[in-house]
Amino acid sequence: MGNQVAEAPRLAGSDATDVASVPMTVTVSDRSEPVADNPAIFEVDRLNVHYGDFHAVKDVSLGIRKNEITALIGPSGCGKSTVLRCFNRMNDLIEIARVSGSIQYHGVDLYGPEVDPVQVRRHIGMVFQKPNPFPKSIYDNVAFGPKIAGFEGSMDDLVEEALTKAALWDEVKDKLEGSAYALSGGQQQRLCIARAIATSPDVVLMDEPASALDPIATLRIEDLMQGLKEDYSIVIVTHNMQQAARVSDRTAFFTVDMEQTGQRTGVLVEFDETSKIFTNPGEKRTEDYITGRFG
Amino acid sequence: MTELRPHFHEELAQLESDLVLMGEQASQMIADALGALVRSDAEAARAVIDHDDVVDDLYLAVHERWLATMALQTPVAIDLRLMSVILHVNSHLERIADLAVTIAKITELSQGLPHDPTVMSHLQEMGDIVSTMVRTVMEAFTNRDLDTALSLPEMDRPVNRLNRKMVRKVVKLAEETDLLEWGVRMTVVSRTLERAGDNAVDIAEQTAFLLTGEFREFTDASHHD
Repeated sequence: MGNQVAEAPRLAGSDATDVASVPMTVTVSDRSEPVADNPAIFEVDRLNVHYGDFHAVKDVSLGIRKNEITALIGPSGCGKSTVLRCFNRMNDLIEIARVSGSIQYHGVDLYGPEVDPVQVRRHIGMVFQKPNPFPKSIYDNVAFGPKIAGFEGSMDDLVEEALTKAALWDEVKDKLEGSAYALSGGQQQRLCIARAIATSPDVVLMDEPASALDPIATLRIEDLMQGLKEDYSIVIVTHNMQQAARVSDRTAFFTVDMEQTGQRTGVLVEFDETSKIFTNPGEKRTEDYITGRFG
Repeated sequence: MTELRPHFHEELAQLESDLVLMGEQASQMIADALGALVRSDAEAARAVIDHDDVVDDLYLAVHERWLATMALQTPVAIDLRLMSVILHVNSHLERIADLAVTIAKITELSQGLPHDPTVMSHLQEMGDIVSTMVRTVMEAFTNRDLDTALSLPEMDRPVNRLNRKMVRKVVKLAEETDLLEWGVRMTVVSRTLERAGDNAVDIAEQTAFLLTGEFREFTDASHHD
């Protein structure tokens, strides 16, 4: 099955092309087969992130592929969330953060001078650890982003589509005007996913999306992700290694290295197909970590 | 740096230690079954048959704990491969013990029949090799010794060769009708030992998989050596 590589989206301040409107052939990977070589969405090359004098992430290079779920795992302080936040320039919001190296997004330098971070975040949605719905109705939570972006089609249809894709429609269709806060934690998180996809991004970043949820809500989110990857590329940071094993196609294992100066810095140890990482990892440090032999 | 899952890794070590015990029992059962056959000792043959219950109990205990460990501990990487290998090796060892029982039962059935010393010495040689193969492969497994595991097909070669010769020898025995029944029974013993050798080679394949992460068959039944 072939794949058509998406054209480079326009990320400048005005008249940005909607990436999701570019026709693409979708390949859904069969987890029993080797992961297909889908086209790259992000190409990260020697990414370094500093917070002031603190070297948080050192020389990370990896590729995020279309219609795949990529998991970033590793111990606390390894830089996995920092890397995730580079994909939609969230680190720009931290004054002392400094990003060097390169992240190509569909071949466009994400940190190029002409790129508008706000446009970046329209194409690259994000779901956070704790559900954070707006203090508004369920309907307005989903409609908020498209409204701001000047969406002119049928908002009712768009809201229904986003909630359906987020596996929430059947549970909320009769109370769309009700407060989002009245939903359970798991429902709120699915609402946040619906809100993230309502603006038609082509990438959804998830930072520990299920860590605040109970086991059943967690499994619903994981199952939902398998459906979402048909339309979106997903990058997930998780502390739960079994979650990474269950949901992702590829896994990046990060750890903490001690610099000569005594400073701790995050490094990428291994990036491979998830089935390889969890059956026969290439690096001893990966094996020691995922088997719990050293922490 | 600390070990984060000591309980789980102790459980793995216990499963492995039970397998090693089974390996010792299975190897000894093959040796004892052959000893009983050569001496035509029905009592010793019965002891081999009775001893199979010990191996069966170990097999069931390993299987039960294996299931619980898989369900509760979700092993990955080297631990997952070890769990897969434990399941396979458990079955192979239980099978080797069953094959020893087959030989012991034939010894019981062959009581009082005349026998041929040349055939008997070939079977003794096969039995010695197979018993050594089982001990050797379990040492390779325990010591994580890839080179020794890879040597098992070479050890198995004379067993296969002797097994093939056995049919020709028994056809010759047909000229002496009083030896025919015994001869036919001994072809079954020969074939049984050949199967036990193959099970030892299968354990060696599992050991190599554990150490390399890649499974491959050392020999193919469709290709003669």
